[in-house]
Amino acid sequence: MGRLIKAEFRKILSTKLWWGLLIIALLVAGTWAGMLSSVFDDLAAELSRSEVMRLAGVRLNEISFSVLFLTRAINIATIFPMLFGGLAIASELGRKTITTSFLTAPNRAMLLGAKGITYAIWGAIYGIAIIGAATLGIVIGSGGDHLVGFSTWLAIAAAGVLSCVLWTLLGLGVGALIGSPVGTVIVLLVYGLALGPISDLVFTGMAGGDANVAGALPNGAANGLTGSTAADTLADEIQANATGMSKVSSELLEGFQDTARLAAGGLGSFGLLASAAIFFAWAMAFLALGLWRTQSRDIT
Amino acid sequence: MHDGSGRIEVRQLSKNFGSVRAVANLSFTVAPGSVTGFLGPNGAGKTTTLRMILGLVTPSEGTATINGMPHDKLGNPARVVGSVLENEGFHPKRTARNHLKVYAAAIGVPDRRVEEVLAAVGLTEAGDRHAGGFSLGMRQRLALATALLGDPQVLVLDEPANGLDPEGIAWLRSFLRDFAKQGRTVLVSSHLLAEVEQTIDQVVIISHGQTMYYGQLADLRNAQRPRVLVLPSDHDALSTALREEQITEIEPADDGRLAVMNTSARLVGDIALRAGVAIYGLEERHADLENLFFQLTSGQYTAAPPQQLGVPPQHPQDKGNTGWGGQR
Ligand SMILES: Nc1ncnc2c1ncn2[C@@H]1O[C@H](COP(=O)(O)OP(=O)(O)OP(=O)(O)O)[C@@H](O)[C@H]1O
Ligand SMILES: [Mg+2]
Repeated sequence: MGRLIKAEFRKILSTKLWWGLLIIALLVAGTWAGMLSSVFDDLAAELSRSEVMRLAGVRLNEISFSVLFLTRAINIATIFPMLFGGLAIASELGRKTITTSFLTAPNRAMLLGAKGITYAIWGAIYGIAIIGAATLGIVIGSGGDHLVGFSTWLAIAAAGVLSCVLWTLLGLGVGALIGSPVGTVIVLLVYGLALGPISDLVFTGMAGGDANVAGALPNGAANGLTGSTAADTLADEIQANATGMSKVSSELLEGFQDTARLAAGGLGSFGLLASAAIFFAWAMAFLALGLWRTQSRDIT
Repeated sequence: MHDGSGRIEVRQLSKNFGSVRAVANLSFTVAPGSVTGFLGPNGAGKTTTLRMILGLVTPSEGTATINGMPHDKLGNPARVVGSVLENEGFHPKRTARNHLKVYAAAIGVPDRRVEEVLAAVGLTEAGDRHAGGFSLGMRQRLALATALLGDPQVLVLDEPANGLDPEGIAWLRSFLRDFAKQGRTVLVSSHLLAEVEQTIDQVVIISHGQTMYYGQLADLRNAQRPRVLVLPSDHDALSTALREEQITEIEPADDGRLAVMNTSARLVGDIALRAGVAIYGLEERHADLENLFFQLTSGQYTAAPPQQLGVPPQHPQDKGNTGWGGQR
């Protein structure tokens, strides 16, 4: 197995796809986070007008709003590790290099296992790099205001890395299932950029902002994984900082949490652990389907 | 390692692609130390059979084993069998050297082996060029280099001469012969008998997925009755003289010549001299294998029932088919 993983690393490093996608992912994460932080005023103003803030007398400056930008930047940048994973098997099938890969591995299951492990590691590499770029973008964009505490940052960073790993594996499964690189890229992009976010919006709109079916779909669950921590952190901070907390009804606070979750991009999600479990299940389901398909495919 | 155990066994192998029966009940054995030619016209099922032997295509029925085991039970398969397949894939942006390094890692051989195989196929100079910029022949050489990485005891080659220049073909021939001489096994497909005739010991000829002939090439050659093509001044006089010597199988051939079966040019020449017939041309033909191959694989035989398989070779003419061989 170690030999096959080494071979997979050599495969990845001997072509340019990995850094091409990585550079774009870093640019997107960095600029997205930076832009959001610098137009922060608008968002902050809206939140400060909210009932909770007014009643609780929260002072906006003490709230670390930048968590929202961090998660948003992560969510958008996960597209790239997803595509990277999507091309893992699809491009080998498309270019027929899969023939030699199968012929030099003890059996298909071992090769696919080695691919899974290798791409999980690469998903983590993408995740760490994306979080670095997003954090840098926020520091530059916000000029150092409203930064999150280290432990919150760490929690979101961990969720972000996990999200990247799972998106990579989900992509890998989808690519193996579809079998053509072009088809895989189209399907993943259409889902990741359009279908996923739009269905999240529609379902959440229908549910009036409550947790709903959107949070059970891959995109919603993934956003919940990263967004929940941010939303909870904001809610906690408000509760802690609020001088007039007694005046904030639990109903109002819940409503605020939903708003914050929406701002963090985690529409209609079920909270951190549930989202993590749901997204994990989705990623594993697609991975298993893709590997099963590859296991039985005739290579002609 | 190369203890002569590299036997390929194909037993009652069939493959259907939807309604297409690509391979039908095929059986043959390739013994170590020999080069076996796997011949058949386009679409006969050669590639499909080789891919089933290599575990890339799942058989509909039957089994294909190497060393008595299916490909996925070989342990480190590239150490046992190397292969060059039709339109094999290379990442167009990966250099030849890096391509080989990837699979050297997978097989678990040191990187120095990469240089050895590059040198063996004459690609050392081109090693740092992208495989996408390679010519057909260079890609074929790179495929062969990949097959050799694990120093396997069995080589399976699907039309390896495709795209090779004459020098490359000559090199490949002697390479395969040497490889077999070391007690290793070679199975090589082609749709041209002439292309592999000088290389192979044994031949499996298939058409429409079924075995048409399976046995030693020498037997196939001997099965062909020798013929003499002669251009005499007087056809009738020569025919009469020959018949008097009990040589009765005489047929008209092309260019006004006579084809005389089961005899030698010398004998025909002597008889003509005694009969006072002038000879303007005299040619002895032994096995016209290509012609034989063509007839074996053309339509007339596809309706014939498949031969008894897995047993020592039977020649089609043993079953009472007449005409081929002497027919012209
Ligand atoms: N993936 C596939 N799907 C459907 N039919 C296939 C597939 N692969 C092969 N076939 C069919 O199986 C038959 C045998 O094909 P195969 O490629 O094995 O022939 P071949 O002897 O290698 O021919 P060639 O000399 O042209 O390489 C053909 O009729 C072909 O159309
Ligand atoms: Mg073929």
